Amino acid sequence: MSAPLVRLAVVPPRRLAVARILAVLATLATVGIVLALSGRDPLLLGRLILRSTVGSRFGLEDLALFMTPLLLTGASVWNGVRVNLWNIGAEGQFYAGATAASAIGLFVPLPGALMLPVMALAGVLAGAAWIALPAVARAWLSVSEIITTLLLNFVASLLVYYLATGPWADHVTNALASTERLRILIPAVWGAVHWGFVVALVVVVVLGVVLARSRFGYETAICGANPDAARYAGIAAAPLLCTVMLVSGGLAGLAGMIEVAGTVHRLQGGIANNYGYLGIVVALLARGSAVALIPAAALMALILDTGIVLQTAQISASAVLAITGGLMAAIAVADELAAYVRVKL
Amino acid sequence: MPETMFAPGEPPFLKLSGIGKVFPGVIANEDVSIDFRRGEIHALLGENGAGKSTLMNVVTGLYQPDSGEMILDGYGVEFAGPPAAIAAGIGMVHQHFKLVPRFTVAENLALGWNETPGWVAPGAIEAKARALSERFGLAIRADARIDSLSAGEQQRVEILRVLSRGAKMLILDEPTAVLSPVEVASLFDALRRFRDGGGAVVIITHKLDEVMAVADRCSVLRAGRLVGTHRITDVTPALLVGEMIGRPVDLPASYPRARPAPGPDAPAAMVLEAVSVRDEAGVTRLDAVSLVLRAGEVLGIAGVTGNGQPELAGVMTGLVAPFSGRVLLGGAPAPGADPGAFAAAGVGHVPEDRLRSALAPSLGVAENAVLREYRVKPVGGRLAYNAGAARRFAEALAVAANVRLASPTAPIRGLSGGNQQRLVLAREGRIATSVLVASYPARGLDIGAIAAMRERLAAARDGGVAVVLVSEDLDEILALSDRIAVLTAGRLMGVMERAEARRDVIGRLMSGRAADAEIAA
Amino acid sequence: MTVFRPPLPTRRHLLAAGALSPLLRPSRLRAATTVPDSPLSAEHALVAFGHVGPVSDGGWTHAHDLGVQAVRARWPGLNTIYVESIPYSADATRIFRQFVAEGAAMVIATSNYGDFIRDVADAAPKVAFLECDGHNVSDNLGWYYITHWYASYIIGVAAGRLSKSGRLGYIASFPIPSVFAGANATLLGAQSVNPQATMRVISINSWFDPQAASQAGAALVDSGCDFLCGIMDDPAYLRVAEERHVWAAMWNTDMRRFGPDSYVSSVVLDFAPFYIDQIAARLAGRWQPAGHFLGLGHGVDRDAWGARVPQAVRDEADAVRTRILAGWNPFTGPIRDTTGRIRIPAGQSMSDAELYQWSWQVQGGAGLA
Repeated sequence: MSAPLVRLAVVPPRRLAVARILAVLATLATVGIVLALSGRDPLLLGRLILRSTVGSRFGLEDLALFMTPLLLTGASVWNGVRVNLWNIGAEGQFYAGATAASAIGLFVPLPGALMLPVMALAGVLAGAAWIALPAVARAWLSVSEIITTLLLNFVASLLVYYLATGPWADHVTNALASTERLRILIPAVWGAVHWGFVVALVVVVVLGVVLARSRFGYETAICGANPDAARYAGIAAAPLLCTVMLVSGGLAGLAGMIEVAGTVHRLQGGIANNYGYLGIVVALLARGSAVALIPAAALMALILDTGIVLQTAQISASAVLAITGGLMAAIAVADELAAYVRVKL
Repeated sequence: MPETMFAPGEPPFLKLSGIGKVFPGVIANEDVSIDFRRGEIHALLGENGAGKSTLMNVVTGLYQPDSGEMILDGYGVEFAGPPAAIAAGIGMVHQHFKLVPRFTVAENLALGWNETPGWVAPGAIEAKARALSERFGLAIRADARIDSLSAGEQQRVEILRVLSRGAKMLILDEPTAVLSPVEVASLFDALRRFRDGGGAVVIITHKLDEVMAVADRCSVLRAGRLVGTHRITDVTPALLVGEMIGRPVDLPASYPRARPAPGPDAPAAMVLEAVSVRDEAGVTRLDAVSLVLRAGEVLGIAGVTGNGQPELAGVMTGLVAPFSGRVLLGGAPAPGADPGAFAAAGVGHVPEDRLRSALAPSLGVAENAVLREYRVKPVGGRLAYNAGAARRFAEALAVAANVRLASPTAPIRGLSGGNQQRLVLAREGRIATSVLVASYPARGLDIGAIAAMRERLAAARDGGVAVVLVSEDLDEILALSDRIAVLTAGRLMGVMERAEARRDVIGRLMSGRAADAEIAA
Repeated sequence: MTVFRPPLPTRRHLLAAGALSPLLRPSRLRAATTVPDSPLSAEHALVAFGHVGPVSDGGWTHAHDLGVQAVRARWPGLNTIYVESIPYSADATRIFRQFVAEGAAMVIATSNYGDFIRDVADAAPKVAFLECDGHNVSDNLGWYYITHWYASYIIGVAAGRLSKSGRLGYIASFPIPSVFAGANATLLGAQSVNPQATMRVISINSWFDPQAASQAGAALVDSGCDFLCGIMDDPAYLRVAEERHVWAAMWNTDMRRFGPDSYVSSVVLDFAPFYIDQIAARLAGRWQPAGHFLGLGHGVDRDAWGARVPQAVRDEADAVRTRILAGWNPFTGPIRDTTGRIRIPAGQSMSDAELYQWSWQVQGGAGLA
């Protein structure tokens, strides 16, 4: 006789961790079987992937470079999800931040020591400005932020294409759809890894600490968990929601600034590279905890990096997408299953 | 009331014999033996945590018993799962309906039919739904969408769905909790019809007056064990309460006060001057209500649910801005809709639906405990929030509320409804230095908790707080109140002193009939 | 063996080199020490190709893939890998780094990856890098490009004769030098036989977007153009031309089957001889980084004329081709820009290096920034 399943209201973190590890292993096994069936050696590929990602300095550098924007766009989305706001526009805010930072870097003559801080500030403000309209519309008029932030992504992307091929185009080195190289770049900290990675880690940790230790963090947590209870507690939700969204926009804008000044060095079409959308995945993986953004971004970076390795192993980029999707589905299922316990008879 | 239509010698529909159920660390049921007979309404009584739900989960196949046996129609049975219990004719109507809100009544009913055809024609399933409705005497609108129905109508659909699967035994968990008095009466009629047709009914409830009104026999559980099974004609409510909580605790019929109740010239904690409230659709929900809340008294608001109580409580606590008229708080005009300002001025509020409006279920007990006081030290300041201080605050609050906490950081939705209510009451009691508005504070509480709640309200009254008690339970209002106001269709039908209040007059006012001359307006 | 004409350094080139002076390079720059010169056996060498599109695109990447197949036929034991659809983003850096990590002796990017390949090349001095449409030459990075403007000019001559309205329509990706050169060369060729010829350009921000290309083609026909051309990796606008009964000239490969009646010709590419030459040099240990222009008839040419192109037109255009092969430079002044200013004075000619950097539109053209 089978024992009945009971759904837990509160899932212990350890159960969750174990479930997710099982999900990753199950996905790997599935991928391995598919690869074996298509006549490839999954073990050989696995060794190649491990060596090229976590198994070499070069791979670790790449992981850190991938993680840097993912940490911040993940934080951007996570910060909204906490309050039940879905910032689908991190991609657009990323572009806006990268554009503003590039404008400072390319056209404003500043002394070296000031340049990067001013660029970062410009990136944050531009990201916040890019979400300002959806934020106000959501907070005071209840206009769905999902639609408005999403649509602004396309505007931002096309704007960057216009700038990079038009008024700001680099006519000297003929880089494709790019501006000139920025004069001052974020310095390296370890090989190809620049200080932007450290900044992103610090920002994520500080965000978590600030939200846990501040009245703002408490009030937004209540707003997110139950808007009626927030009203009851005398919390004015609209300015809070607006602020939360502006912070989200600023985080994504900072990601754009760091990407352009640390990794790509030029503003160019497509510079956001879907980091804004992948931030949604990172935020969902991190669930309730800001610090969990770090392993979540690491996992996403690992997947992206694996994608690169698989491509050089002559496996189509679409297969990488399928593997990513499969992993996400497996983790979602694992999260749900972890909530069920078999009651002991 | 027919005792039973069947001779006592006939085998019961379902006989529980020595049922035991153990969870790790907890004995949920031990040696429970009850007969559930055809043609009988059987009330199952017990405090929260007495083991009623576990026992019914065993009966409906969700759990398997660790010991004892179930005998169905004379044959021993084991239910591998809920489908087996349903197949055996045991159906349960849960407190929270399991209906699809966007589907029509007929579609929801069709979900339960094994013979529902693969191709579903609206006409056919509606005809079938109407046929069911007639057969069981439960009036429904087959083509109405569930989310357009009242709680009572939804419950009827739920019952019909269970019956349509051929249930011979109907188990209802707190079926009257969400119903208006009229709906309660119609539910009881339906249950009696089902009984008279040979069905067995088990009704789980806290409300003793309902037990006395509708049940033929009742069983009392305490701490997982059966205390006793009685014919209703053999017991009194006081006796049942004594069995439920292990000592003969009566809810007092009055809460005597040290000093006399404040008179009309006592200081006014809050004044409502011709306050009207309209909802989003422009319908007037509260119509020119004028009231004076006196410091140190309990004002009972009697009335049938849905007659403007949420709006009145909302206006008094700053959740709702008056459409016209004004609210004076401590002599000064209160800000429109600003619950924070009301709370800061010493207005506490125990709302009707605490999980939905007074708590953030997914957050920890600590976060919820400080909901009213996070702005002040030691928990918070202008910018800061001290999680450690919030935890200590929550632990102290839990001690004051007589709630045992596993961890102050665990989500509050993990606590029982009774403990949530206790915490809310303690939290609101702390800030209510001037006014405490308590809406239906007894909902979901067991007798022991109700007694504690009432004592807390009386203590607030004695501390000089103007207490507003909104309740549908006239006994409760009569026990606590110094003055009683009746709210009908958003209008204040009259305010009377406790000494002058008579049940029949209040009842007449609640039903909207003209006030007697003797009632002071 | 094909001879590749090395470019002469020009003022613009020196400027470009200056813009990339080491001062402004990121701190991770390492000075390249040795030219990749040790001989290798084909069995132990790995040559990696990075493509901008899918090899099945029927256009640019397909043309390069034909070159890769020729390499594989030439050295059956040689390890070759390729990655398709590499974006112009930091992901390109990652893929090139991965090539290096897997031990590639030579990395050939079949499109412009600018800094993204340059950074990797700087960090891997032992590996030979070639970048199509590139502009940088360093100790281990060279570039190659086709002098497609001559083929475009020849097709332009035919366009000048075939177009009744004298209006040519050009479907462009981005306003970059290749597009300027292709559009200008076609228009100058047309103007050589019809001085009234004009050209409208629409940019669709992609090399491969059949839907956008179709829409742009239809819009150009609607505005009176009766000869469509452009640089696209797919035949979408040829189908539009076929439907609307106007002429069309293509790029990359022979696409006549998608519009047999409208097809005029194509700028056809053949990278096989160049790849074989370069890989042979690398295997022999005598590879040198340089810039290479693949000349007319040596990697780029006009395709066999379409079935409906009149013999007289073919003869006139092919006469121009013969002159160019004999050394004549059709890009000789005076050439004016869209404002009417003379950019190339009479008597002066544009070198391949200048044509490779073309960034202004000639008189009679419109639509390129």
